[in-house]
Amino acid sequence: MAEQNSTSETLATSGGVPALLRVDEVTKIYGSGHTAVTALQAASMSVDTNEFVALLGPSGSGKTTLISIIGGLLAPTSGSIHLGGVDVTGLSARELTRFRAERVGFVFQSANLVPFLTARENLLYVAGLTKMPKSHARQRADQLLEELGLAARAKNVPEQLSGGERQRVAIGRALMNDPDLVLVDEPTAALDTALGRQVVQLLRREIKDRGKTGIMVTHDLRMVEYTDRVFEILDGHLTHVESPTTAGH
Amino acid sequence: MVFLALTEMRRAKLRFGLLTGAVALLVFLVLLLTTLSGALVGALTGALEGLRADGIVYSDSARDNIAASRLAPETVALVAAVPGVQEAAGVGTLTSGGRVDAESVDFQVFGVDAAGPGSPSGLTEGRLAEAVGEAAVDGDVAIGQVIVLDPSGVELTVVGLLRGAQFNALPTAYTTLDTYDEVVTASFPGLPFVPVNAVAFTVTQDADLSAVVSAISDAVPEVTAYSLTDAVALIPGIESISQSFGILVGLTFIIGIVVIGFFFLILTVQKLRAFTLLRAIGTGSGRLATSVSVQIAIVVLLASVIALGLTLLAVEGLNTGLPVSINVSTVIGTIVAVLVFSLLAGLLSVRRIMRIDPASAVGAR
Repeated sequence: MAEQNSTSETLATSGGVPALLRVDEVTKIYGSGHTAVTALQAASMSVDTNEFVALLGPSGSGKTTLISIIGGLLAPTSGSIHLGGVDVTGLSARELTRFRAERVGFVFQSANLVPFLTARENLLYVAGLTKMPKSHARQRADQLLEELGLAARAKNVPEQLSGGERQRVAIGRALMNDPDLVLVDEPTAALDTALGRQVVQLLRREIKDRGKTGIMVTHDLRMVEYTDRVFEILDGHLTHVESPTTAGH
Repeated sequence: MVFLALTEMRRAKLRFGLLTGAVALLVFLVLLLTTLSGALVGALTGALEGLRADGIVYSDSARDNIAASRLAPETVALVAAVPGVQEAAGVGTLTSGGRVDAESVDFQVFGVDAAGPGSPSGLTEGRLAEAVGEAAVDGDVAIGQVIVLDPSGVELTVVGLLRGAQFNALPTAYTTLDTYDEVVTASFPGLPFVPVNAVAFTVTQDADLSAVVSAISDAVPEVTAYSLTDAVALIPGIESISQSFGILVGLTFIIGIVVIGFFFLILTVQKLRAFTLLRAIGTGSGRLATSVSVQIAIVVLLASVIALGLTLLAVEGLNTGLPVSINVSTVIGTIVAVLVFSLLAGLLSVRRIMRIDPASAVGAR
C-alpha cells in the first residue's frame, strides 16, 4: 500500500511560504437531489513554483473535474482555489476568461489546436488575448517553436503535423503567455510509448527551465517518473502518494 | 475578432467560396425580382407618375381609369377656378396603332399642354412638343424619326426622348393638345367635340392637397379628383401586381436570410470543438461572436457585389420589352437589408457560441 499523507501536510510548503497553488477543501457535486453525484470530495493540495506533479486516477475518478476547477473552467460547489494569492473561485465569468488567457497554459488531450491556424499562428493567437506587444509575441513564438524542434513546421496547419508535433505545438501554446500554471490533460493518450515519453520529458524540461508550476493528469504510470510528486484520486477523494498503485485501472 | 475570421476564410477558400456563391445567387434573385417588378410597375404607371402635377381629375364614370374618363373641355376652367388650384390643364390620351420606318408599333398618344401641369417629366434628349405634328416619345425611336399613326394618318416628328414615361407597358408619344385633337378627329370623324380624358392640376404653395382634391370633387359636377399618388395607386391592376411581386420578393428575401442563418449555424456547429478550445484557453464568447459576425458581413458584402454584377448582366441581356433599369436606392436598400437581417440570422450562431461550456474542452461534465 502506498503511504498516504494527510491533507493538511500537503497544503504547506517548506519555510512556511504560501504555495503558488492552493486547493482548499474543494467539493464538486453534479446535479441535485436524487440525481446528485459527488465528483470531488473536499480535495486539498498545494503545488509550488518549479514543481511538476502528476494527478493519477482511473476514468471517472474526478481528476478531470479537479483540473478543470483549478484552471478556472468549472466552478466548485464549495471550497477555494488560490493561485499566486488570487482567489480563483471568487472571479466572475469574464475575469475567469482573462485568468485562463493570462495565468494558465493548457495542454489538452484532443482538439488541442485551432485547425485553421498554422503552428505559429496557434501560438500568436493566445498572445493576442493578452497585452503582449506583437513584435515580442512573434519573437517569443519563433523562439518556442525553435526550442520545441518545430521551426520547420511553423507554417503547417495541425492536419499537416504528426500527433507528437501537435502536442509539442500545444506545449508551446501553453507556454506562450508565460503563465504561472501549466495544466496538462492526458498528453500521451494519442501517442505511442516512446513518443509519449518524449513529450512528457519535454514538458518537464520546459516547465522546470522556466520555473513554472505544472500539473499533469494521466492514467499512465510510466509517465510519473518524470514528475516531482504524485497525487491520486479515487472516487473523488484526493490523496498525496509516494508510490501510486491505482492508476490505469 | 478579425484575425481569426479572415485567417479561417483564407484557409477554407472553397467552403467560403461556395457559401458566398450561394448567397450571391439568393441576393441576385432578390435584386432581379425587385428590378423587374419596378420596371413592370414603372411601365404601367410611368406616364401618370411623371406628370408635373399634384393631382388629376377624372369623370365620375371613369372608375379610376384615365382611359375610360371623358370630360368636356370646359371642365379645365371649372377646375382652375376652385380655390387652392394654381394651374389646370387638360390631358387627352388614346391608344393608336402606328408605324416607324414601316415597322408597326402601338403607341399611347397623350395630348398635353407642354407648359402646364400634365406635361411629362423624364426628358433625356431634345425637347417637348411645341408645334402641331411634333412629339416627345418614350420608345424605341430616335430624334428626327417620323411616326405615322393609324388609322388617322397623322404624322408625328420625334423632337424629344423621354424615359420612365410609358403607360400600360406601351411606348408613349406626348403631343400638343392641338395635335391630339387632330388625331382624335381623324380617327373618329363626326365627333361634336374632342373630350379630354383628365384635368391635371397643381395647387398653390399654401394649399392642402387633400382639401383641394375634396373641394374639386364637390365644386365641379360629375368629376372625381385624386392626388397624383392616389391616382397612380388606383391604376387598374397595379395593386395586385405590386402585391404579387411584393410577396415574391419578400419570400425570396426571407428564404435567403433563413438560408444564410442556417449556413452559418452549420459552420458554427462544425467548428464547436475549435470554439470550445478557444473558449477554454481564454477567448471571450464576445470575440467569437464578433468573428462569426465579421465573416457574415464579408460573405454578404462579397455576395452582394457578385449579385449586383449578375443583375447588371441580366438587365443588359434580358429582353423583356420593358424599360428595365437598376434603381440605385433600391439596390442599396436591398443589400443593406440583406446584411442587417443576415447578421440577425447570425444570432442563431452567436446563441450557440454563448452556450459553449469551456470545461468540455477537458471532458469535464
